[in-house]
Amino acid sequence: MKLSFVVKSLAGAAAMVAMAGPALAAAQSAPSPITLKGDVKLEKTVTENGASKVQLVEPKVVIPGDHLLFTTRYHNDGAQAVTNFVVTNPLPSAVALSSDSAPGTEVSVDGGKTWGQLGTLKVAGTDGAPRAATASDVTHVRWTIPSIAPGASGEVQYHGIVR
Amino acid sequence: MNTYLSPLSRAAGIAGCSLFVLSLTAPLAGTAHATGVLAGTLIENTATATYQTGTTTSSVTSNKVTVKVDELLDVAVSTLSTAPATATSEPAVLIYSVTNSGNGPEAFNLAADPKISGNGFDGTIKSVVLDSNGNGVYDPGVDTVLTSGALATPVLSPDKSVKVFVLVNLPVGATDAQTSQVRLTATAQTGNGTPGTSFAGKGEGGGDAVVGLTTASANSLAALIASLANISLTKSATILDPFGTAKPVPGAVVTYSLAAKVAGSGSLDGLHVTDTIPDGTTYVPGSLKLDSAVLTDGADGDAGVGGTSGIDVTLGKIAGGTTKTVTFSVKIN
Repeated sequence: MKLSFVVKSLAGAAAMVAMAGPALAAAQSAPSPITLKGDVKLEKTVTENGASKVQLVEPKVVIPGDHLLFTTRYHNDGAQAVTNFVVTNPLPSAVALSSDSAPGTEVSVDGGKTWGQLGTLKVAGTDGAPRAATASDVTHVRWTIPSIAPGASGEVQYHGIVR
Repeated sequence: MNTYLSPLSRAAGIAGCSLFVLSLTAPLAGTAHATGVLAGTLIENTATATYQTGTTTSSVTSNKVTVKVDELLDVAVSTLSTAPATATSEPAVLIYSVTNSGNGPEAFNLAADPKISGNGFDGTIKSVVLDSNGNGVYDPGVDTVLTSGALATPVLSPDKSVKVFVLVNLPVGATDAQTSQVRLTATAQTGNGTPGTSFAGKGEGGGDAVVGLTTASANSLAALIASLANISLTKSATILDPFGTAKPVPGAVVTYSLAAKVAGSGSLDGLHVTDTIPDGTTYVPGSLKLDSAVLTDGADGDAGVGGTSGIDVTLGKIAGGTTKTVTFSVKIN
C-alpha cells in the first residue's frame, strides 16, 4: 500500500524550544527563515524482468489518468526553531487525490474550510443527501509538523491522479 | 440551540465557500469531462505554510510547479442503425456515429470498407456524407457529401460526436434479401498506433499528442439488405364467336389478359403495360380494364388509354407479391 501523504524529517535533531524575546522577535522581521520548494514528478510504472515498479520521471508528457507525485520540501534557514508548522496544499482542479491515503493526514473537501480525516468527512451526493467523501472529493491537504529545528529540513508529499 | 445554529452555520459556510471556490470551480467546469482534463490544461501546484517563531506567526509560499496536460488521442465509432438498411435501386443509407473520446480537438479520417467476410455481396460505396444539420436523417442536397480523398470529420471538440452516412449501392448480381455489412473506420488525423505512442509537439496547445487505449482508431459494422423485385408478364386470350363458341372467325371477340406479376421483397416503379392491336382485328371501344375496373379509352384521369394504336396502362409503383391484370378485347374483322 502506497502512502499518499509522507512527512519525512531529514534532520533527526529534536526540536528546540526557543525563547521568545523582544530581541529575537526583532530579528524575525528579516526574510522568512523557512523556504518551501515545490516539485512534481510523473510516477511511471515500468516492468523490468517481469516485475513492475514505479519510477519517478520528469513530467514531460502527462495525460489524463497519469499519476503525479507532488513534493514540497521545507528547510529552516533560521537560527531558531519554528513551531506549529502547517503546510497547506490546495489540489489543482485537474488533479484528484490518489485513493490510497495514509491515516493521520488531514484533508478538506470543502475548499479548505473544514478539515478532518477523509473517512470522517461528508459531501453532498447527487441526490442532495450527504454521502461519505472519497479521495476525488478532496480539495486541500495539509500536514502539521510540531517543530522544525534550526537547519532542519524535510518534505511532504501527496499522490495525485490527472482527472 | 444547536438545531438553529447548525443550519445557520452551514448556510454561512456554503456562502463563504462558494466565494472561495469560485476561482476553483471555473477551471473545474472545463475539466469536468468524461474524457478527462482537456489537453493544454495547466496543472499548477503551490503549497503554503504557516508557522510560529516564538510568538510571531508567519507564512511562506512555495514556488509554483506547473505541468501541462497533453493531448490524448481517442475515438469511438458506433452504428446507429438497429436493423439492416434497405438497398433497392436506391442506395442503402448506413448511419454511424463518430465520437472524439480524447481530450483535445481532433479531426478523424474516415474509411468505408464494403468487403467484409461473410457478406452475401459486397456493396459499392456511393458516398460518405456528414450529417451537417445534425438531425440523424440523410438529407440529400443538405448534408455534406465528402469528396473522396478528403474523407474526414470536421475537427470535433472532446466528447463531441458527428453522425456519418455511408451510401451503399447494390452491385450487379445481388439478389433479393441478401445481406451485407460495411465497416466504417475513423482514425485520428494527428496519428494512431499502439497506446502510449506519442507525437511530439502535435498536441493541443503545443504539447505532445499521445495515443490512448482506443489506439486512436475505431470502427463499427452496419448491415444492409437487398430489397429487389422482378416482374413477369403473362398473356392469355379467350375467344367468343357470334355463335357462342370459341372459334376465331370474323366477328368473334378476342379478350386478351395481361397479368403483370411482381415478385420479391422490393417493388418496381414506373411500370406500364402496353400492347398493340393485332392486324386484322379492331379494338373494342371501352373494353380496357385493370383488375376488372373499367378504364376509359381517352387520355384522362384514369390509368389507361385504349384505341386503334393499342393500349397503355400505367401501373406506377408495384410492391413485390402483387399481380396486376390488364384486359382488353378486339374483334376479328
